[in-house]
Amino acid sequence: MLSNTPGSPTLHSNAAMAVELTGITKRFGAFVANDGIDLAVRRGEIHAIIGENGAGKTTLMNILFGLLQPDEGSIRLNGEEIVIADPSVAIKAGLGMVHQHFKLVPSLSVADNVFLSMEIRRHGLIDHAAQVARTRDLSKRFGLQVDPTERVGLLSVGIEQRIEILKVLVRGARTIILDEPTAVLTPQESRELFQTLRSFVAEGMTVIFISHHLEEVMEVSDTVTVLRNGRKVATRPTAELSKDELVHMMVGREVSFDRRPRASLHGDVVLEVKDLWARDDRLLPALRDASFTVRSGEVVGIAGVAGNGQTELAEVLSGLRPASHGGAWLKGQNLTDLSPAAIRQAGLAHVPGDRMVRGVDRNASIAANTLMGRQHRAPWSRGGMLNWNAINQNAETLIKSFDIRARGPSDAVKRLSGGNIQKVVLAREFTDGADFLLIDQPTRGVDIGAQEAIHDEIMRQRAAGRAILVISVQLDELAALADRILVMFNGRIMGEVSGDDADEERIGMMMAGVAAPEFAAETAS
Amino acid sequence: MEILDKLINVALIAATLRTTAPILLVALGGSFTTKAGIFNIGLEGQMLVGAFFAVLGSIWTGSALAGVACGVAAALVFALVFAVLVVSFKANEVVVGLALNILAGGMTISLMKAIFGTRGSIVGHGIVGLPKVQLPGARDLLGSWAPLISGFTPLVYAAFIAVPLLVVCYNRTRLGLYIRVVGEKPEAAEALGISITRVRYIASLLCGLLAGLAGAHLSLGYITMFTENMSSGRGFMAVAILIFSNGDPLKVLAGCLLFGFADAFSLRLQTFGYPSYLVLTVPYVVALIALFALSYRARPRIIAETLESMRKLLSVDRNTEPGGKNPQ
Repeated sequence: MLSNTPGSPTLHSNAAMAVELTGITKRFGAFVANDGIDLAVRRGEIHAIIGENGAGKTTLMNILFGLLQPDEGSIRLNGEEIVIADPSVAIKAGLGMVHQHFKLVPSLSVADNVFLSMEIRRHGLIDHAAQVARTRDLSKRFGLQVDPTERVGLLSVGIEQRIEILKVLVRGARTIILDEPTAVLTPQESRELFQTLRSFVAEGMTVIFISHHLEEVMEVSDTVTVLRNGRKVATRPTAELSKDELVHMMVGREVSFDRRPRASLHGDVVLEVKDLWARDDRLLPALRDASFTVRSGEVVGIAGVAGNGQTELAEVLSGLRPASHGGAWLKGQNLTDLSPAAIRQAGLAHVPGDRMVRGVDRNASIAANTLMGRQHRAPWSRGGMLNWNAINQNAETLIKSFDIRARGPSDAVKRLSGGNIQKVVLAREFTDGADFLLIDQPTRGVDIGAQEAIHDEIMRQRAAGRAILVISVQLDELAALADRILVMFNGRIMGEVSGDDADEERIGMMMAGVAAPEFAAETAS
Repeated sequence: MEILDKLINVALIAATLRTTAPILLVALGGSFTTKAGIFNIGLEGQMLVGAFFAVLGSIWTGSALAGVACGVAAALVFALVFAVLVVSFKANEVVVGLALNILAGGMTISLMKAIFGTRGSIVGHGIVGLPKVQLPGARDLLGSWAPLISGFTPLVYAAFIAVPLLVVCYNRTRLGLYIRVVGEKPEAAEALGISITRVRYIASLLCGLLAGLAGAHLSLGYITMFTENMSSGRGFMAVAILIFSNGDPLKVLAGCLLFGFADAFSLRLQTFGYPSYLVLTVPYVVALIALFALSYRARPRIIAETLESMRKLLSVDRNTEPGGKNPQ
């Protein structure tokens, strides 16, 4: 019989469990995405799986749905052991998954999309009328408002999601997995979705709901499972949890870095951000009224659960996203009107949060990657031609001084490990004489040795009098590096703590959205 | 006025239908690959081998039907090679299509030399052309308009009947639906367990079938002979029509009728003593003008869309952004 593994909160008999995962481990090369995860989902509940980006939520659900095969562990559905070799097995067993990225055909009608690959036919021809009628029935029953005859290409993302849910229902799913369903929805659409999820449960179906948003998890779920760094932290009934407990479980208390010793050498204000607002890709406010300063020789940290406006802040400061209100001044020059190139000219160096997308060209050499952004300047360019001797020599020097483990400047970046790619980005950004360093997730996906080296380098830059803004979802990293830590929640800066006595309790409260008035006063000054 | 009367009459319309048929057949074939997401530039070559082997088959067997079958078989072989390279081995479809077109041109010339010892064209040798179908009762029903529906070779009827069949295929059959899905959103097909490879093979072969019929119609229906490069750009013209019709059968029909009319009209003009080289450019000039007109018409739409999205962005900003302080 299947085991109640120690620590797993399986209180009910196995037959009451819609889904049981036991000891699921999945490795991608050396990276362990899921490490011995146990998960039990009771029939008829909304079970939220929460964790930060990269905690292993999607991997776990892809394993359950047969898109990935686990290296270890077993799966039981309704008490029966099952091997889910591919999604068709999962669908037959009554599982349905609504992915983050929709797979709909724009030129077909809603009903055609819903019934695609299981068309209703009469005399060999597709019976559109019957498909429309059945789609209409289902959409009424679960409050998923759609017009079955409309073309999908004309509809909004929120409605596209309803169609994906209908697709899953038509295929007879009794357990529905939704991967970050609210990421693409407006608040109004999210509320409607939650109502639909409740109507599923009312009909005896089971919902597994992946999210990294605390509030919606608190609002909609019956049970929460928290994942962190590929491991399960806990499974608890939502009613017994408070928001800041949840934050602590998500972010964790593991401390792997010691605070860096430092001399106080704060100089002039280099960056001043005032009343800054910005919108996300859905045009909803994502950054709200941020005001702060960064001085030369100072490291300011931005803490917060991922998705609370940090990305938008970094994008506005680097010119990748327009500000909708307010401004940011770098040495007196307003950045919000400038192009990314002009902002760099004004003195910004930017280490982007996703290095593979915005940090490097993975197919180009290390030399080419260290050149990017300055290819038009001497000595790298002479008379309109690139001076490869100088470029390669410079890359050689950077490889030595930043300890990049590579065979040479002509090595393609994609051959390097994550830590070494990050060092290539740092080498380029830190050696251009910029006064303000914007560093988003300095050590994401980087091994411990490289993490230490990167922190050393940031501290050297601080000693050299640079103004540094570090955005990180790792609290211990900020506690090690920052002179001051600002905490963001829901696009707002909730308060500030000094790096010298970074009180995790207080930071945790603010990350969960509980304002700390005694600190707010400090921020204003 | 008199000249116009002589130029435009029932005979011209009948001629238009006749000249439309081959390009319509090949374009409808291309509709399958276009809808399945394959840019098939090899239509020209498939049509040419279809024409050549139809003549060959007709000489060997003495039967026009067997000739058509031979032409179709040859075009299918070309279509299969195309599918193997493009679908299975993921080769670049333009390169493969061009290569097959060049192969078809060279191969028909060398085979003509080897078998008939001539260059240029095959005439006589006992080629059996397709019979003309006289519809009984057409004359009673339409009087002098009867040539509009009667007296064509069978493949002309086949071409025009194929149009509604394709409409039904795309809208009401599973195969047609899957062809569209595979072309438009392969990820969706994959996620639902529809085999992209299989659907693309079927589309390629259906294309070969119709391209072969088009070729056979050229050499056995249209005229009863084969000449070097006798498809003379019709396959490419079909590709052009496919690009701006997106493979929709009714739009394909409209495009082909336009081209067929220009073709028939230019033949007409020749009999009136206009210089033939100039007259022969008419269909191509018409095609260029049509392409230009269509893209010109699409221009305001693009501008309107841009304006609309800008307006949306600006108005959202104005309505919900705080005047000075936060609204929450």
